[in-house]
Amino acid sequence: MLTAAELVRLLAAVAKGDRAAFERLYAATRAKLYGVVLRILRRPDLADEVMQETYLKIWNSAGQFDPALASPITWMVAIARNRAIDLVRKRTDISIEEVPEVLELASDTADPLATRERTEDLGRLLECLGRLDPDQRRLLLLAYFNGWSREQLATRFGAPVNTIKTWLRRSILAVRECLGS
Amino acid sequence: MTMDEDLNVLAAEYVLGTLSLEERQRAESLAQSNTDFAALVRGWERRLGELHAMVPSVEPPLEIFERIKQRLAGGGPGGQVVALETLRNRIGRWRSFGTAMAALAAVLLALLVTSVVRPDLMPAALRPNPEVIEVVRTIEKPAETPNRLVAVLQKDAASPAFIVTVDIATRTMTVRRVAAEEQAGKSYELWLVSKQFPKPRSLGLVGAHEFTAGMALAAFQPDTIADATFAVSLEPEGGSPTGEPTGPVLWSGSLIEAVPSAQARP
Repeated sequence: MLTAAELVRLLAAVAKGDRAAFERLYAATRAKLYGVVLRILRRPDLADEVMQETYLKIWNSAGQFDPALASPITWMVAIARNRAIDLVRKRTDISIEEVPEVLELASDTADPLATRERTEDLGRLLECLGRLDPDQRRLLLLAYFNGWSREQLATRFGAPVNTIKTWLRRSILAVRECLGS
Repeated sequence: MTMDEDLNVLAAEYVLGTLSLEERQRAESLAQSNTDFAALVRGWERRLGELHAMVPSVEPPLEIFERIKQRLAGGGPGGQVVALETLRNRIGRWRSFGTAMAALAAVLLALLVTSVVRPDLMPAALRPNPEVIEVVRTIEKPAETPNRLVAVLQKDAASPAFIVTVDIATRTMTVRRVAAEEQAGKSYELWLVSKQFPKPRSLGLVGAHEFTAGMALAAFQPDTIADATFAVSLEPEGGSPTGEPTGPVLWSGSLIEAVPSAQARP
């Protein structure tokens, strides 16, 4: 992947309608975005659709990207995830049965991260997630990575939806407190 | 439980993706109308977005980019969507509607898709209009000048109240009531506001039915119509007694091209 500064420059060019820059942006980010949406959608045909919509949206909204407010890749990932989650919420035929166990994150045994992708912000977030109860940490990560609803999380954790709601709330506020912003 | 905490949790759950579809749509509307909430969403997108680094990259099939390029070019089955995306993009630049776009595009999408895909679902007053079919062709092969313009009259992005569709060639318009509630003993009156005139010109009453079709704009030049702002005020039953708006202006909007011109395509 290109550096953040290079992605910012490409987005600025895309905002002016530069198709070559768009192609380079796609080449630099497609595997990351596809990995994100495929994990949520579990179906290549749906991931394909969401990829198209995501990049059309990026083409059209590149001018609204503000490097002061977001990193280019988190901005693009947010667009892709939003589309993917909208789609899974609209469909009821995507089963959670086939979803593999979530990556065990923030575990002491192995660092699953390629070091070049490990930013300071990510380090702080993982530290804060590490302070949560293991179940609550897993809850947040399953939601983020797999795009699960509260109902799906309730099934997975064998807990009532209201309990999941409470756990989510508690974890979210704890993470906010821990990150201090 | 403070309001601040509730909004934070809602923003975070929206970003996490745990909300139902309906809750997601409500959160999106809120983000469009409330900049504080939008900032909370951006904050959580930034914080949680770092987690993307933990997701393994997967190389997508090559055809995907070909399809994206086709859709950008306006060809293929996605042409319609591109036209709408283009429209949304251009409105954003021209009119500074900013965050209104998602809601606006959704409304336009519903309207255009109905008129394009299922003209039989449109009310009788609109159906005989051969332009409906013309829209499809024009979107695929854009004309130099648009002859169909649309304005969404709204107070904020979450609440489009009326949609005005103008046919420049015949200088007629159709007004569709979307979300405006009927108010007992009151009428909604539509006004054309233009630099050409010192005062708003009444275009008549709207909103008594879902569609008010065939309203005349013959008194105005096409340029004036295209640049005008359309506004709806709440008036005593039967309309303003003075010929000028007497009640509050509840919604307004400007026209945008329903058919993008060739030059402005990406």
